[in-house]
Amino acid sequence: MSQIRVGSVLRRRADVRFRVIDEEGVVVRQGAGEVLVLNEVATRILTLADGAASIARWIDALLGEFDVDRGQLTADVLAFAAELVEQGLLEPAAAERAPALRRAGTAGGGG
Amino acid sequence: MSFGARFLRQPERFSERPAGEPWGERELALELPGGPYRVLGLSAAQEAGVRATFPGSLLPAAGAPAAGAPAAPATAAAGAPVTCRLLRCTAGDFLPVDVRGWEYGLDFDWSPAAVRLAGLGLAARLDWRLGGAELGGVELSGALWTPEDGGARFPGVFENFLRVLVSYRLLELGGAVLHSAGVVRHGAAFLFLGRSGAGKTTVARFSQAQGAEVLSDDLNALLPHAAGCAVLKLPFTGDLGERRAARLPVPLGALLRLEQDSVDALAPLSRAEALACLLACAPFVNVDPYRRDRLEHVLFALAAAAAPRAFTLRFSLGGGFWSILDEK
Repeated sequence: MSQIRVGSVLRRRADVRFRVIDEEGVVVRQGAGEVLVLNEVATRILTLADGAASIARWIDALLGEFDVDRGQLTADVLAFAAELVEQGLLEPAAAERAPALRRAGTAGGGG
Repeated sequence: MSFGARFLRQPERFSERPAGEPWGERELALELPGGPYRVLGLSAAQEAGVRATFPGSLLPAAGAPAAGAPAAPATAAAGAPVTCRLLRCTAGDFLPVDVRGWEYGLDFDWSPAAVRLAGLGLAARLDWRLGGAELGGVELSGALWTPEDGGARFPGVFENFLRVLVSYRLLELGGAVLHSAGVVRHGAAFLFLGRSGAGKTTVARFSQAQGAEVLSDDLNALLPHAAGCAVLKLPFTGDLGERRAARLPVPLGALLRLEQDSVDALAPLSRAEALACLLACAPFVNVDPYRRDRLEHVLFALAAAAAPRAFTLRFSLGGGFWSILDEK
């Protein structure tokens, strides 16, 4: 399993159904026939896992919503995200891209 | 493992249509929730098996309620009968299965307009076709291929098929079949929800000992009702419940998620928790990827209607939980 970092982009897995009712999240893992109820914070994190925003963006959003130290929040969110990946609720949205290589002879962008 | 590979010798030859050679020309009508269910193609021995297994649900061919059956079932909205056909196949179509120490579960294969299932002595399909009064409706029908011409195993085969058919039918009608113990006390129905091992039969036994009526300790139906929700008896029982008698719908007294504990206590369930509980306890349909939206819509409506009466029940083996429930 790839390591979860603040730059990671995660999304809910295709077989995971998720809906929010009265600020609680209901998660259905269709394949396993398993249903979970998440508390408010976990629900917010699963909502943020849209496959577009990085974990760093989640942390920025959560800092505006909860009175918490950034360092502690970062550690907690990374740990929770890793747990959600391990439980099969989240997955990486895409492989982290390596910097684009320039073709030989095109230095300076003239090609 | 691919669909049917546990049970069928040639799953790739599973019929694409609900057609084949009927076992006979006998016909029965069953008044079960979501019905009536019209069963065609029965042999004489199969008919006898169905009659003996579901005597409280039999309707005469004309459609009038049989003696002992409810005169005005809450399922009247169902309208046209759901037709299911009994079709021949041979024992050689099935693989031998060593069932020692084995927990039986059917194999399913889903698509937008059909569900296929396979099990011990059972290959079946449910099909949805355009039809109904306005031709804008969709009609559900079933077909069951079995090598069992009556005999000791046939009732079990037929019931396993019927459990799935009724579950899908009730989903269409805004209701649900739920893994639960259903108990009637003081004119209200209490549904104790939980999967295998949660304690459904245990609480049903305690309830019975205190004079309550047990509907079933395995599967019960929950449907919307003028009073919120109503519980309907199903002839699908485990160790407790009288499958031979029919019963009118009973208004829901409480929806109770079971948790075994050393003390008896009651805690309210949120709507999210009630929905999660219903989702987890809706067999067959809750693993169908093509009917997720419908299931969530139906169960959310039921959870919302039941929410004021939805609780987690922590119960001990002392059996004192009814004193708490009676106070509510």
